[in-house]
Amino acid sequence: MALNRNDISRLAELSRLALTEEEMARMEQTIDPILNYVGRLTEVNTDNVPETEAADEIRALRGDEAIPATASTHEGIMANFPDKKDGLLRAPAVFDKPKA
Amino acid sequence: MYELMTLKQAAEALANKTVTSVELTQSYLDRIREKDGAIHAYLEVFEAHALEQAKASDERRAAGKALSEIDGIPLAIKDNILIEGEHATGGSKILDGYVAPYDATVTQKLKDAGAIFLGRVNMDEFAMGGSTERSAYGITRNPVDLERVPGGSSGGSAAAVAGDLCIAALGSDTGGSIRQPAAFTGTVGLKPSYGTVSRYGLMAMASSLDQIGPMTKTVEDAALLYQIIRGEDSHDQTTVNTPPFHFEKRTDLKGIRVGIPKQAWGEGMTDGVRQECGRALETLKELGAEMVEIDLPYMDEALAVYYVLMPCEVSANISRFDGIRYGQRAPGLPLIETYGQSRLQGLGEEVRRRVMLGTYALSKGYYDAYYRKARKVQTLIKRAYRKAFESVDVIVTPTTPSPAFKIGEKLSDPLAMYLEDVYTVGVNVAGIPAVSVPCGKTDGLPVGLQFIGGMFKDDQVLSIASAFESAP
Repeated sequence: MALNRNDISRLAELSRLALTEEEMARMEQTIDPILNYVGRLTEVNTDNVPETEAADEIRALRGDEAIPATASTHEGIMANFPDKKDGLLRAPAVFDKPKA
Repeated sequence: MYELMTLKQAAEALANKTVTSVELTQSYLDRIREKDGAIHAYLEVFEAHALEQAKASDERRAAGKALSEIDGIPLAIKDNILIEGEHATGGSKILDGYVAPYDATVTQKLKDAGAIFLGRVNMDEFAMGGSTERSAYGITRNPVDLERVPGGSSGGSAAAVAGDLCIAALGSDTGGSIRQPAAFTGTVGLKPSYGTVSRYGLMAMASSLDQIGPMTKTVEDAALLYQIIRGEDSHDQTTVNTPPFHFEKRTDLKGIRVGIPKQAWGEGMTDGVRQECGRALETLKELGAEMVEIDLPYMDEALAVYYVLMPCEVSANISRFDGIRYGQRAPGLPLIETYGQSRLQGLGEEVRRRVMLGTYALSKGYYDAYYRKARKVQTLIKRAYRKAFESVDVIVTPTTPSPAFKIGEKLSDPLAMYLEDVYTVGVNVAGIPAVSVPCGKTDGLPVGLQFIGGMFKDDQVLSIASAFESAP
């Protein structure tokens, strides 16, 4: 199931990754052999075999309660913001031209 | 200079007051300055802070208030484990300048035990790699042979332990990232049972597989450090209240049944690895173990399952690195371009490859064929191990098919690098514990033997491995 340049380009877009042309070519070359390798799973008979559930691993769910951060954690998180204004995280606008 | 001290020896020396924590810490800081230029295990050394911590430790001990056996012992921490107020990058450019706003649970536990943090050590970017060549901050060299890789992704931790640039270290293991570098550097590395060590404050790679563990000079040290970092944690729902831990330093293996999976001992390993590991089996027999050839199917499939599940989880976990909330942001662009460009500038090629693989396997039309199928085969793998452990106490395989390879040798062929994980990934897929222990050298390069145990039998695995280690 060879991935062509268009597939790679679409995957990059879905993955929110910009790729250089050169890298696009390397991805094309390197992803295919990996997919071929993992393709051997189709040969395993899994009739009536249940999936391993993530829930098996989660032994205790906690209540859906907000746990307040300490002041130093709060400050630390704020300090890591790439851009901020008035104590808030500033991000690029979701819409380029908001409707009037 | 205090040299080549094990954690146990250092703990005893501190307890007997033949050394102070400041002396010990200073001696390691001096050695890092002298030797790490050539190895590059450390990304940053916390010199002033480490000495402050050491001084406080000495004061506690003088007042008879040592916090634990390891109070005052200098350790190295993998760069994906948070220490409040210190930089943490996960080996990635996208987190250049990031300062940890809180302590990982393991960090907190080590602080509560009085451990000293010498610094943060190198790794493949976000733990994706098997050579530490995928760090955005330069490669780490193997102290045993500077032309070779130390393994990865916990290559900095392994090199720091092997080069005696710390007493012990923490690493993390998702598919072999503790055990493979331990094997490549002649050190001991434990991948604990999933759920026994909290992942809170560990940068997530593949959450259902990731586990933090000790990297040490001896099996006993691994047990000592593991005992401190393990335990249930309300910050990580996957942690469990495990049964008590009873490590026993053994000198024989009478009554122990050692499983030798025929699939693992067939083709695929180098002659040198076969020879050294074969000799190790003889030693186990001489120690009194009963050797049982077992059938452990799905070894190659386990690698395939891993290389589906892991990238799927990676694609989700790495989505947080988009330039918005932390790390490096490509400035002055509309939102979608901000994501794409920040991730182009900040993330390395291997990380992006795995994100794309995962995105592919999770996308509409492929989910059933890849992710769901892999989850089913994972069930078969878990069953196969469970069945094997009905007739044996421990399973033994080589840790890696070959010893440490040359720098650059496998960089252009990701699949070749992935195939290195063939003996280690099954353990992560099954969630069970395994430890790599040095078992000889081939052409001067260390070879590792892997002891795999049943779920939550970390203590038993370590006890059995300790007998092998102490054999003449």
